[in-house]
Formats: sequence, C-alpha cells, structure tokens
Amino acid sequence: MSAETDTTVPFTEADERRSLRREVAKLASGYGREYFVRQARNGEKTTDLWLDMGKHGYLGVALPEEYGGGGGGIGDLAAVCEELAAQGCPLLMMVVSPAICGTVISRFGTEEQKARWLPSIADGTLTMAFAITEPDAGSNSHDITTTARRDGDGWVLRGRKIYISGVDEAGAVLVVARTEDARTGRLKPALFVVPTDAEGLEYQPIDMEIVSPERQFTLFVDDVRLPADALVGDENAGIAQLFAGLNPERIMAAAFATGIGRFALDKATEYVKGREVFGAPIGAHQGVAHPLAQSKIEIELARLMTQKAAALYDAGDDTGAGEAANMAKYAAGEAACAAADRAVQVHGGNGITTEYGMAGLLVAARATRIAPVSREMILNFVGSHSLGLPKSY
Amino acid sequence: MNIVVCVKYVPDATADRHFEADNTVDRVGVDGLLSELDEYAVEQALQLKEKGDGTDEITVLTVGPEQASDAIRKALQMGADKGVHVVDDAIAGSDSLATSLVLAEAIKKIDHDFVVCGMASTDGAMSVVPAMLAERLGVPQVTFGSQIEMQGKEIRIRRDGDAATEVIGATAPFVLSVTDQSGEARYPSFKGIMAAKKKPVETWSLADLGVEAEKVGLSASWTQVEDTAARPPRSQGEIVTDEDGSGATALAGFLASKKFI
Ligand SMILES: Cc1cc2nc3c(=O)[nH]c(=O)nc-3n(C[C@H](O)[C@H](O)[C@H](O)COP(=O)(O)OP(=O)(O)OC[C@H]3O[C@@H](n4cnc5c(N)ncnc54)[C@H](O)[C@@H]3O)c2cc1C
Ligand SMILES: Cc1cc2nc3c(=O)[nH]c(=O)nc-3n(C[C@H](O)[C@H](O)[C@H](O)COP(=O)(O)OP(=O)(O)OC[C@H]3O[C@@H](n4cnc5c(N)ncnc54)[C@H](O)[C@@H]3O)c2cc1C
Repeated sequence: MSAETDTTVPFTEADERRSLRREVAKLASGYGREYFVRQARNGEKTTDLWLDMGKHGYLGVALPEEYGGGGGGIGDLAAVCEELAAQGCPLLMMVVSPAICGTVISRFGTEEQKARWLPSIADGTLTMAFAITEPDAGSNSHDITTTARRDGDGWVLRGRKIYISGVDEAGAVLVVARTEDARTGRLKPALFVVPTDAEGLEYQPIDMEIVSPERQFTLFVDDVRLPADALVGDENAGIAQLFAGLNPERIMAAAFATGIGRFALDKATEYVKGREVFGAPIGAHQGVAHPLAQSKIEIELARLMTQKAAALYDAGDDTGAGEAANMAKYAAGEAACAAADRAVQVHGGNGITTEYGMAGLLVAARATRIAPVSREMILNFVGSHSLGLPKSY
Repeated sequence: MNIVVCVKYVPDATADRHFEADNTVDRVGVDGLLSELDEYAVEQALQLKEKGDGTDEITVLTVGPEQASDAIRKALQMGADKGVHVVDDAIAGSDSLATSLVLAEAIKKIDHDFVVCGMASTDGAMSVVPAMLAERLGVPQVTFGSQIEMQGKEIRIRRDGDAATEVIGATAPFVLSVTDQSGEARYPSFKGIMAAKKKPVETWSLADLGVEAEKVGLSASWTQVEDTAARPPRSQGEIVTDEDGSGATALAGFLASKKFI
C-alpha cells in the first residue's frame, strides 16, 4: 500500500482491511486449490484450514471481543471469505457459522448462550449449521412447517429440512421453526439451537455435483426434545431476528461468489498469457481478452457493492444494507457464473479436463445464483421493494 | 530486555522488478513488503519476549522510502511494540555501508539491549549489514543463528555450519542475525492487525540522527552499479536420449562443452 493511496477516500478499504486480506490470502495459498480439491475428492474435510483460520482470529473477526471474537465488522468477515475463495478454497461454512449463526446469537442470544456458543464459533472448534430451507416451502420461507411445541419448560421440535450445508461437521444446527402464538393461534418463526447429537435428529447426505469438502444434507427432526434455553432470542420477535441474520448471509454469499469469480479469472488470465496458437498468446486476441476484461469489470462492481452493503450494515443501517446486500448477492452470482464460463472457454479442451479443474468451477459458481437466495427472489425484492411494483405472489 | 529488530522493505519478488535510470532499484513504482527473511527476525524477537517477564519492548527499525512504513506495520501486526522509520530523500541509493551507518545511528537513539537482523535481505542479499552494524556499534556479532534461547541473562544461539554445529553463549549488547531455519514466522492475527493501528511509529530524518547527507546516498556509496541486465529467459534444456549406447558419450560431450568436465 503506497502512501499516496492511503488517504481515507470512500470506495477504498482501510489499511487494516487490506492487511487482513493479504494475510488471509497468504495463509490460504499455503493450502491452495489442490488441497481443497484433493480433500473433496477423497471425501475428507478442510478442518485443518478451518482451525488455522480460527486460530488467527480470522473466523471470529466480526464477533464481539468479550466472546473471543475480533470486534470487527461483517466487512472484515466478508474479506476473509472472499480471499479464501480467491485462493481456490471457498469455505461455505463461513457464510453459515460465524456470519448467520454468530450474528444471530451475538445480537439476540442471552449472556449464557453467547458464552456457550460464540467463543468456539470464533476459534473454529465448533461450527454451527443453519437450517431454514424445507422441501415443500423452498424459496417461500413463510411456508415452513417445522414446528416447535411447548413441552413443560422446554420444546419439542418436529419437521424436515433440505440442502443444509455442513451438518456432518457441525456441533449444532440453528433451526428455523415456528411456534404457535398463544393469543392468535397463528404460527410465527423462532430460532432454536439443536445439537447435532440430539436424540431424534437424523441427517442424510444429498449427492451433489459440486466439488467441495462441504456437503449438503436432508435433516429429519423427529420430536427432538430441547431445553428452554435452546430458543435464541425472543419468541415473539423471531422474524426480526431472522432478518438480522439474512443481511450478513447475503453479504457473505456475495463475497464467496466474487472470490470464486476472481479465482476463475486469475486462472484464465494466466492461461491465455502462456498458451500460444497462431503464433501469439491467445490473450492477444480481442475475442479472448474482452470477455476476461468484462469479467474483471463485473467482479469489481460486485465487490464494490458488497463492500457498500457491509459498510452500511456495520454502520447499523439494517434497511439500507438490505437493499445493497441483495443487489451485491445478485451481481456477485452473475459475475461469478460469467467468469467461470469464460474461464472454461479460454482453456479450450483443457477447460474440461480434471487436471485443469476449471469445469468444476461452473457448478460451484452456479450454486451462488441459487443459494442462499435465488436470483429470481432478489429480482422480486428489487421489483417490489425498490421499484414499488405490485407482487404476483 | 529491549530488542531492536532491523527490517527491510523490499520489492515484492513475485511481481515485476525494475531498475531506475541510475541503476538503482525502483522502490517506488512497485509493490513492496517486509523482506520475508526479516519476518524470522521479528518472530525470534517475539518469542524471546513471550518467554520473558513481559517487560521487554520490541522496536522495529527500518531505513527506506515512504512506503517502507508498510514493513513496520507488518512487524507491529505480528506483535512488535513500536516502530522507527528513518526516511530521507538523501538516503536513496545508499549501499550497505551507508545503510549501516544510518541504522547504527538510529539504533543508538533507541533504548535497547541487543539488535536482531535477518540473515540477508531478499533484494540486495549481501548479508553484510549485521556485521557492519556490530562494527559501528562496537559490539560483538553472532550471525546466522538457527535457534535462539534465553538462559538467565545469557542468550544461547545455535549456528548450523557445514562441518559442525556451534552453540554460542552471548550477553547483551550484541548484534544477532537469524536464519530462515529459526522457526516459522507467525501470521498476524486479526487482533494483531487491529492493535497495530494504535502502536507508536516515529519518523526520523538524517538531521534527527545527526548524520550528514554527504555521507549517504548514491554519490557517497562505495559500490557503484555500472550496468544491469534482465536475467535471460530460461532456454529449454538439452535432452540426451540413449537408444544405441551413445548416450554417455553425448552426455560427456555436453558437459565438456560447458566446461563442467
Ligand atoms: C450448495 C447449496 C447449499 C445450501 N445450503 C443451505 C443451508 O446451509 N441451509 C439452508 O437452509 N438452505 C441451504 N440451501 C438451500 C437454498 O437456500 C435453496 O436451494 C434456495 O433458497 C432455493 O430454494 P429451492 O431450492 O427450494 O428452490 P425453489 O424455491 O423450488 O425454486 C426453484 C426455482 O424457481 C424460482 N422461483 C421460485 N419462486 C419464484 C417466484 N415467486 N418468482 C420467480 N421465481 C421463483 C427460484 O428462483 C428457482 O430458480 C443450499 C442450497 C445449495 C444449492
Ligand atoms: C549489486 C547491488 C546493487 C544494488 N543497487 C541498489 C540500488 O540501486 N538502490 C538501492 O536502494 N539499493 C541497492 N542495493 C542494495 C543496498 O546496497 C542494500 O540493500 C542495502 O545497503 C542493505 O544491504 P542488503 O540489502 O544486502 O542487506 P543484508 O546485509 O543482506 O541484510 C541483512 C539484514 O540487515 C538488515 N537490513 C538491511 N537493510 C536494511 C534497511 N534498509 N533497514 C533496516 N534493516 C536493514 C535486515 O535485518 C536484513 O535482514 C544494491 C545491492 C547490490 C548488491
């Protein structure tokens, strides 16, 4: 960082943020894409990378200092997530464990809950999965049917969840369920921490085509009995709490996607500089250079929006952050998909080989357009919320 | 014990490096960083501090252009306590003699028991600055330490040589240089990164050190770089295939043509 660019103009990140990026990138490059793919193909996990990140405080950057975190913001956590992905190690559980679960517990948990869960989420010794998606509700999370029934002091949980990431690696799952409003009898969402070894909780892996050590699961919640303190936050304010976790989720998903995009673009750029046909590096042909230049622009724009969303969220502007986070997530997913597609294309036949490992990026990038919220649901949001258009549903 | 660690800001070896028109290294137009070999010096100082009684203070010292504050920042993020940056346009182009003069005068102004250096910079790579510092400060030097341990008031330093391994005992003051075998340098933690922001860094000029500008810089340097040339691109090696038993002769002929045998 030169002294000239050091001025605190908006649109550039602070020195500390840039230092964080540099250190994370360096640490992650020691593991690298080869490690990530090898672990995935051998059915192994990335636990050592995860713990290494935790040990240096990089997983807990956004959690409060009194609970073992770094006291930074979601912008810092997003930087960590992006740099990991940019080194070829996209860690999906970053989006879930420290970002969604960590945020919800630190904002709405009791002292006991914070003391119990946050330090180990921060140092990586425990990961917490997050389960909202259900087979029959899908994108319409208002339709979820997993219910929590009062049982003496505690609760009994029953329902089914799908596509839940990292349950096999998690110590607990933050489950979105519904409780019955005592007055109106209507169901409203509430959040419960369910240990993965709880009696009645079962999970089965879903075979996915993503090359990743982190897997997705179907979760069967069959009358799982939980103590009173499994409920996070206020039973009557579940919706607000849920939304509090969604902005960080989207910001992180955007960072995850731009990181994948950067990785794909780096690989593509390196390749087109070296590969010569027709007597010149193929990167000299505009037909090859322009799509990559386009990706560079699209990724930078998505990164900028991600940083804006994070800055708004960290400044306490939940509403402003909501719109920006959705837009960032949308832009990042599109940019990542385009970059992966172009990266495969410029590799020619090598783009499909296992050796070059580019084709696998297509699916990884594609998933960022679907999860955690699909591009269509974001377009719905922007249509109705930002443009004031009527809703069809 | 208070420790001064000398750290150099060098051009990033993974990026393109250039020379200026006067054959000095372009230190402004390229990304730079804390010389990786100096990370080991910082690490060793930190380990000594951590094993100590907690009263020790580590000062990182760099002589370099404006951006060299980056090297200081990195060392502070790793855990050093404060920084001193000597920056002055007149220093540009200094050779190791001149650099060691500036470093020595700065070290004299810092409250310290001993000095730790890296084994070599990753750009100049002459490995001479620690020895020059010891001479200028009038203290003993122990170079190329691969293992450092405090035993009471004495520091024990292992030096791995080709033929023998020496263990040297030293008491402050002294100048020590450490190798990349001394132990993996740590990554700054997030807390370290944030804490560095609040650590004091002083900026000194030649005038602050009482060093005359004529004694340093390109014109005062004893070494003169006449010319520079980019490393020639690697040519493809010659492959000797042996199908009819003539391989050994061909190989010997090749080695002889290159004057290896
Ligand atoms: C890799 C991966 C990891 C995941 N991890 C988790 C996790 O850890 N926890 C978790 O809870 N969930 C997780 N999910 C689930 C993810 O959040 C959902 O897949 C996503 O929200 C979409 O829901 P769905 O799959 O049910 O699609 P559906 O809701 O069935 O949608 C199918 C398609 O129809 C479109 N569509 C639906 N309704 C509308 C509408 N009104 N207007 C326009 N288009 C519409 C959608 O955009 C989509 O393209 C994960 C998914 C993937 C792929
Ligand atoms: C052929 C040649 C050409 C050169 N041309 C130029 C040039 O054009 N412009 C230019 O600026 N330099 C140039 N130098 C480099 C310059 O002479 C040395 O960088 C400098 O004087 C220190 O020597 P060194 O880098 O070899 O350090 P070494 O002796 O290898 O360093 C050993 C240790 O000394 C300490 N140290 C060294 N330098 C510093 C410093 N500046 N601040 C704090 N600690 C330090 C570090 O702890 C380091 O690990 C050239 C060197 C050579 C050999």
